[in-house]
Amino acid sequence: MKVFQINDSTLTLALFTDVTNSKELLDSMQAGTLEPEVAFLNASLIPDVFPVLAAAHKTLVSKSRGSLTTRTLHSELVYNYSGSKHITESLRRCGISDSSSYVLAACFNTSPDEVKAIEKLVHGKEINLEELGERADQAQIQKHFKITGPELTLSSVGDAITCRIAARDAL
Amino acid sequence: MEIKTDSNDGTLILVKQGAEARVFESTFVGRRSIVKERFSKKYRHPLLDSKLTLKRLNAEARCMTKARRLGVATPVLYAVDPILYTLTFEYVEGSSVKDILLEIGSNGGDSKRLSDIAMQIGVAIGKLHDGGLIHGDLTTSNMLIRSGTNELVLIDFGLSFTSTIPEDKAVDLYVLERALLSLHSSCGNLMELILASYRKTSKQWSSTSNKLAQVRQRGRKRTMVG
Repeated sequence: MKVFQINDSTLTLALFTDVTNSKELLDSMQAGTLEPEVAFLNASLIPDVFPVLAAAHKTLVSKSRGSLTTRTLHSELVYNYSGSKHITESLRRCGISDSSSYVLAACFNTSPDEVKAIEKLVHGKEINLEELGERADQAQIQKHFKITGPELTLSSVGDAITCRIAARDAL
Repeated sequence: MEIKTDSNDGTLILVKQGAEARVFESTFVGRRSIVKERFSKKYRHPLLDSKLTLKRLNAEARCMTKARRLGVATPVLYAVDPILYTLTFEYVEGSSVKDILLEIGSNGGDSKRLSDIAMQIGVAIGKLHDGGLIHGDLTTSNMLIRSGTNELVLIDFGLSFTSTIPEDKAVDLYVLERALLSLHSSCGNLMELILASYRKTSKQWSSTSNKLAQVRQRGRKRTMVG
């Protein structure tokens, strides 16, 4: 579990493996009964925390302007991370599915009580965020974000994803 | 649980001011960054002004990321803000090719470094042009050399556009040639080195080369007679 400062807000990130209750999590999230509200990301698409922070920054900016594209702050984070404009597709690919076992939980402005609640909510083993790099699925990332060979020769996958997140609305 | 705080976030330090934009240094979620703000022009009609500014902002973001996809190093784009008209991108540690060439020009020496830089410039422009991207403002101050890796990074895609016409590519090269001639004539014939490596990279060299010869004769602007 790690807390990052983004302008005036904070983002708490926790990485879990061997998650067994992703179906329940998905159901309660879709029903809107998840307490506290958390974003669950498909961690195999995340090679580094930085793109997540860039997506979170973008989310907070649109929240402060009242221009969220999706229904909640946390679904907006998943949508922004995807780098695509297709909401359903984004949530399906970058969010969790019934069978996901490797999940990154992200939550804005959490109180200490909520942090405990998140740890209780997810049935899995919490691991260090530094493991994101080796556990990421390079092939899947390259396919999803359409990253080609020449680009990888000059920068990391994380930077390439960050560019796509930032440039999405400009395309 | 640890908390990473970063009090620097959001403070802006003015680095440079141009005719179209102001450039600031700042921090973006913990990384050193550059913020480029396109300001509004008060002499334009407000509606036209906001449309033009937004269009150029988006075009710049698009071209920067397109260049990366073609394998040309540009700063990593962190954020685009269509309300404040700002682009936030990576702070590239290093100095501009202009400063390096001026240094070499006045102190002499190091022809190996010179030819390495020229080679990288040629390859980068060749890749851009083959991918159908015209930089539009190729000058030595818009090229940086990253310290440590000595990798060439192209910046300022504010005048960039996509085109596959040999004319546009030739003009792009011609602009660079003039810029080199006026500022770095003490470095010897750099353009020859650049064109040699451009030629090796670009598959459309022959048509561009023919056009370049024509453009040299008449200058950047086309004659619009008849």
